[in-house]
Formats: sequence, structure tokens, C-alpha cells
Amino acid sequence: MAFCKSASRIWNQFFFTGFSGESLGLLRMYIGVGLLFFHTYQFATVLTLNPIGAMYYFIEPIWYFKVLGIQYHVPALSFLMYAILMSATIAMILGKNTRASIVVIILCIFYLKGVRDSFSGDVHHRYIIPMQILFLFLLSKCGEVLSRDARQLHHPKEVQEWEASWPIKTMQLYVALFYFWSVIAKVRVSGWVWFAGEGRIQEVLIHRSIRWGVNDKGEVLKNALSFELAQHPDIIQVFSILVLAFELGFPLILFIKSVKLRLAFVLGVTSFHIATFVLMDVNFLLIPFVYLIFFDLVPIHAWLKARAHQILGRPPATAG
Amino acid sequence: MVNIILVLYLIVIWAAVIFRIDRFPLTWVPMYSVYQPSETISKSIKDKAAMRKGLRVTHRDGSISYVSYKDLNIPKPNFKRLYYSRIFGTAPPKHKQGNTELGALNRLVRGLDEDEPNFSVDWEWRMFWTLNKTLRFEPADPKFIVRIESSKQRRIYKKADLAKGDASKVEIQTQQAVIDWQNQWVKRWNHGLL
Repeated sequence: MAFCKSASRIWNQFFFTGFSGESLGLLRMYIGVGLLFFHTYQFATVLTLNPIGAMYYFIEPIWYFKVLGIQYHVPALSFLMYAILMSATIAMILGKNTRASIVVIILCIFYLKGVRDSFSGDVHHRYIIPMQILFLFLLSKCGEVLSRDARQLHHPKEVQEWEASWPIKTMQLYVALFYFWSVIAKVRVSGWVWFAGEGRIQEVLIHRSIRWGVNDKGEVLKNALSFELAQHPDIIQVFSILVLAFELGFPLILFIKSVKLRLAFVLGVTSFHIATFVLMDVNFLLIPFVYLIFFDLVPIHAWLKARAHQILGRPPATAG
Repeated sequence: MVNIILVLYLIVIWAAVIFRIDRFPLTWVPMYSVYQPSETISKSIKDKAAMRKGLRVTHRDGSISYVSYKDLNIPKPNFKRLYYSRIFGTAPPKHKQGNTELGALNRLVRGLDEDEPNFSVDWEWRMFWTLNKTLRFEPADPKFIVRIESSKQRRIYKKADLAKGDASKVEIQTQQAVIDWQNQWVKRWNHGLL
């Protein structure tokens, strides 16, 4: 009984406290801005196609295309979907028909990602975290704060702390688990040898450095730094241990109260993604924008606003 | 109500991990999780000119032509995968990941025998389906593609040499892929990939 009570208290404390309605509204806006760049980066290749060119029959349709019977690509439709996706993302940022906008964003991502991944059957994971975040926004009351939807209501109801907190805390939990699961997956399919100095990291470093070719002297033409690093298994071993520690330890961020410590952690993870992009071509470069979920954006937004007014030479507007 | 949503959400995302469900937007594994030590490392030599020209195809009437990424209207990186991998029967990394160390529980859940792969795709048939359907050729057409060809060169290194910084010791291997249409596939034609 005592255990149940304490579990319930921990559950409530974790999921239902910590954020205000304003935090949720701001998070919707900032994540939306990040998504504008993310969408374009992710679907750029699809936008290079001829909109009135051949309709390609997919070699390996993604699972939901198979379920829906979608076998071929209509190029003009992808351009239209991209335009709708960007418009809906802007509507989400502004909080105009927020819930409907999020549904449209989700559907457009499903379509465009499906197209991109069905061309040759290579399924990418870059949208998994943003999709979970969008799903939780959809269930939340994020459109009822700092939004056009709220302005249209004559007597808008204030979003309570518990209503604002649970979607954000669930997003945080998902992201933390995503990294934690990485360790489970590596150990499950490869064993601890993955983390050896002469293991997977070294192999990827070598692959990525020799992929562009080698000159007559036996020197790699590009990614020389990766090649150099691959020759130092001791250093790679240290990196491997860091990867292991950071992935296993990611859930700890959920319990770090200090903003500075959390920021340091997030900067560490961001450096990790930049390093894996530069050295190993692992394309999770833009994903760190989702780490905004680990911060209360109210003070950050206020600070940015004050700075912007300083630069523009105008005093910040007072509330009310 | 919110508690029910949370519990259901947690059950779903953890079930994906336990049962190795890797279907967007659920996953159990990021990329690069599979590591199988090997003594050699090989890399395809990208022949840009050949890639731009495209896959060499033979039509039913005996004529020969080339099918490029522009003809198929797909991005270059995706065409590269058809050109250098799928025609050679090489599956995407996600398939390898899904087939590795599946475990007894997940084999049981999927009804798979011990050596049966979770993902198994007949890439040869798919190549003919994709090219012919995209170019609007039906099996009875004289222009129907009955043979697809690609070739590539691979540089093969000993991992031990590369790990010492020596990339000069290399063996160049040429691989040729020639796949022919099989009349038994006509039955599949109308069903496509579904």
C-alpha cells in the first residue's frame, strides 16, 4: 500500500508538474520553427525531381504504403504535400487551427517520408522523435496558449500546470528512452564487442574515410581526420565508453534540476551529433532542435525578446 | 483519462522495443547497431559516368538501352542504391538489422523457423517490376525489359592494414550483375508488390 502511494506520488510529481501553459505554447512555437528547417532538409531530394516527370513504381514501399495500396509516386503531389506541410507548420507556430494543423503535418510527413524511403527501400529514423513530439502536441492543449485560437475565444480557460506538464514530460521521457534503447539494441544484436576500440565505431570511421577513394600514395582523398582517428583504437575506446555512458545515462537528464547542468548535458549530446556527422556522416545533424523540450522556454523567450528590443532600439511591451 | 493515455503510450513504445517492431513511427533500434567483425573491408568504386548513363537493359525485341535516374525520376542517391546494391541482391541495412539475432521470442511471435529471415525480398523480380512499370512497359510489349545489367568495382582492404593507416594494399574486384526476366513472374504482374 505504501509502495503504491509512493509510486503514485512519484508518477504525479514527474508527469504533472514543472511547466506552465505558456511554456507549452512557446514550445509549440519553437519546435514549429525548428521543423520548418528540418522538413526542408529531410525532403530536399524529393524536391529535386521533375514534378511532371515519370511516376516511379516503388521497389520496396514502406509498410503503410503497402497497407494503403500506394505503389507509385506522383511527383507533383509531393510538391503539393511539401507546400501543405510548410503551411501547416506555420499555422501550428501561429496557433491557428492548431489541432487540425498538427494532424495535417503528421499526414504530410507520413506521405513524404513514405515516398522518400520507398524509392530504394532504405528506411530512415530521423523523423521518429519529431513525430512522437507532434503526436503529444496533438493530444495536448498547446493550441490554447499564445495562439490565434486562444485569441478567438472570449473567455479562454487557463491551461493548468498538470495539463501543460504531462505532454512535455512525456516528450522528454521518449527522447531519453530513445537513446537508452540504443544501448539495448547494440547489445542485443552485436554484444559488447560493439563498444570495443576495434569495434563498430572504428569500422564506420574507416568506411566513411575510404568511400571517396585513395590516391597513388595510399592516402584517403577525403575525411582524413576519420582515417587518422581510426588508427587509434585507444582513443576510439574512450569515445565508445563515452557513447555508452551518455546513452545509458540519458534518462538522468529527467532528474537534473539545475538548468546549467541540463544545458551542459544537452550541449554534450549536440556535440556528439555534430561529431558523428563530421567524422562518420551520420545524418542526425539537425535533430538537436528537439532538445528544447528539456527547458522551460518562458525565461529564455523573455530574454530573447528583451535582446531583440535592445537591438531594435524599442522598449519591450508591458503585459496587460 | 490522461493517466490511461500515458500508460497505453508507454505500453506501446516498450512493446515495440521488446518485440523488435521497427515500423515508423515506432522503433526499437537506431542505425549502426549491427556489428559483425570481419577481416576485410570493401567499398564500391563509384563510377559517376556509368551511373549517369544508367542501368543497361535489354528489351524483348532485342534492342538495348540505358535507364537512368532521370528516366525513373528518382533522386540520384536512391538510384545509386538500385545500381550498386539492389540489382546485386543487397538489401537495405534495416533488413540486416531486423534479421540479426532475432531471438526465440520474436521468432515465435512472427512464426519464423530457426533460419528463416524476418525480412526477405526477391530483389530481382522487384527490379523488373519497378523499371517496367515506371516506363509503362507491359509483359507483352516489344519494349518490355527482359534483362538488366550493372557492374561495379570494389576495393577490398584488409582491416588490419587500414587500422595501421596503410591504404595502399588493395585488391580490386569487378562484379557483374545480369538478371533475366522469368516468365513465371507474369502471374505476379497484376498484383504488383501488394
